Amino acid sequence: MDDDGAVGATYGQVMIDRPDAAQLLEAMAATLTNQVMPSLDGGPKHSARVVANLCGILAREWNHRADVPLAALQALLARPGDDYADLVAALDRRLTDPELSDDFAAAAHPVVMAETERRLAIDKPGYLDR
Amino acid sequence: MTALDDTRSSLTELLSTSGVPVSRVEITGSATLGAQRSSLFINIYAGPNITEAVAQILAPGGREVIAPENDAAVLRLARKAGAPVAHVLAATNSAPVTGAQAIVVSRVAGESIPRKILRDAEENGTGDELAADLGAGLAKAHAVPVAELPADFERHERGAIHQAYCALMAQNVDEVGVPHPAARLGIHWLRQHLPSLPSSPTLVHGDLRNGNILVDRGRLSAMIDWELAHIGDPMEDLAWLCLRTWRFGNEDREVGGFGSLDSLRSAYEAAGGEWREDAFRWWTVARTVWWASGLNRQASAALDGLSDSIVLAASGRRVVEQDYDLLRLITP
Repeated sequence: MDDDGAVGATYGQVMIDRPDAAQLLEAMAATLTNQVMPSLDGGPKHSARVVANLCGILAREWNHRADVPLAALQALLARPGDDYADLVAALDRRLTDPELSDDFAAAAHPVVMAETERRLAIDKPGYLDR
Repeated sequence: MTALDDTRSSLTELLSTSGVPVSRVEITGSATLGAQRSSLFINIYAGPNITEAVAQILAPGGREVIAPENDAAVLRLARKAGAPVAHVLAATNSAPVTGAQAIVVSRVAGESIPRKILRDAEENGTGDELAADLGAGLAKAHAVPVAELPADFERHERGAIHQAYCALMAQNVDEVGVPHPAARLGIHWLRQHLPSLPSSPTLVHGDLRNGNILVDRGRLSAMIDWELAHIGDPMEDLAWLCLRTWRFGNEDREVGGFGSLDSLRSAYEAAGGEWREDAFRWWTVARTVWWASGLNRQASAALDGLSDSIVLAASGRRVVEQDYDLLRLITP
């Protein structure tokens, strides 16, 4: 969550100084875009644009870092567990099963879509709903 | 001798032994550097004559792609069939001096950078004509006699093309080694919805899209980068050309962000191509799976230290766009 408070943000239990990660990354992206890129051409300009874009991605990732959706995955797979990577790996294995049923694929689709929309909101929000 | 000197001598000797009149070669610049190969602009001097050409040389450590001699064979056959492609001057799987793989083609006027192509088509009002040029060009390329293609091109039975592609996609996702549920759902859909078969397998360009075409004053001047050419279902090319990712934000212009699907299809059929709508849809899904997995593979190349390209590393964060398009395409 973004924290504009005067005392800075917390990461876990640790106090960190202002600006926080997202604010720094946004400032880095703006610097690259407004001050560095105008003086570059060709390949270096493209690389700077890519880095600026990645800073934006990381800023959004920081702001969304608490939004890991476990419940839908747990329900779909009918198994507990709060390790997100484990659940995704388990889903991947289920979907690789040669005996995969159309019913399970149909049930998995909205769960994978919700997860994809969550990632898209970080990686390229402008791509949604166009 | 510098590496550049070696390259110049190598190209001079290669052209000379290929029957191209040449006294010396000058390297005048580099074209867009592809992920697989580097491309150099060269001038070929012979007496008072100067020929502008492009030399493609396999970059050190580059992934093995089509051998230049096969690439040249495909280009010559496509050109003979009337498709707009560059004229091959020389090709070798092992060049003199350097031992590099190299192909030299005459230079064709035109722009290959997608956003410049979009601007060019917009300014000239030729977006639909450009889409039609591509339809006609592809129909001609797809008419190349398959028997004349290089003997080591993989050939599948007509009825096995689509199952083979499903197996290849599963293998690709496995090899990347990262969980990829959206791609798995895509592969399941592909297996459940096998399309109609082409009358016969054809030459397939394999990567024709906005970015692998040359456009001059709004019209197609050449179809380039044939390194993924193979024998298969011609609808693969048409679907790939129309993927959302190659529209660069111009969503309503299905063909490369500049032209209409109708223009492409009409021209393809008028030039003798056989359009199969179910296969178009199938390949749209199949190629979206391929690209989702391909972007993941590019990110792996950066993460495994095979490349220090930030663009390749960033590919990992573009996988989700393909996943999103894919899931929308196969919504139950």
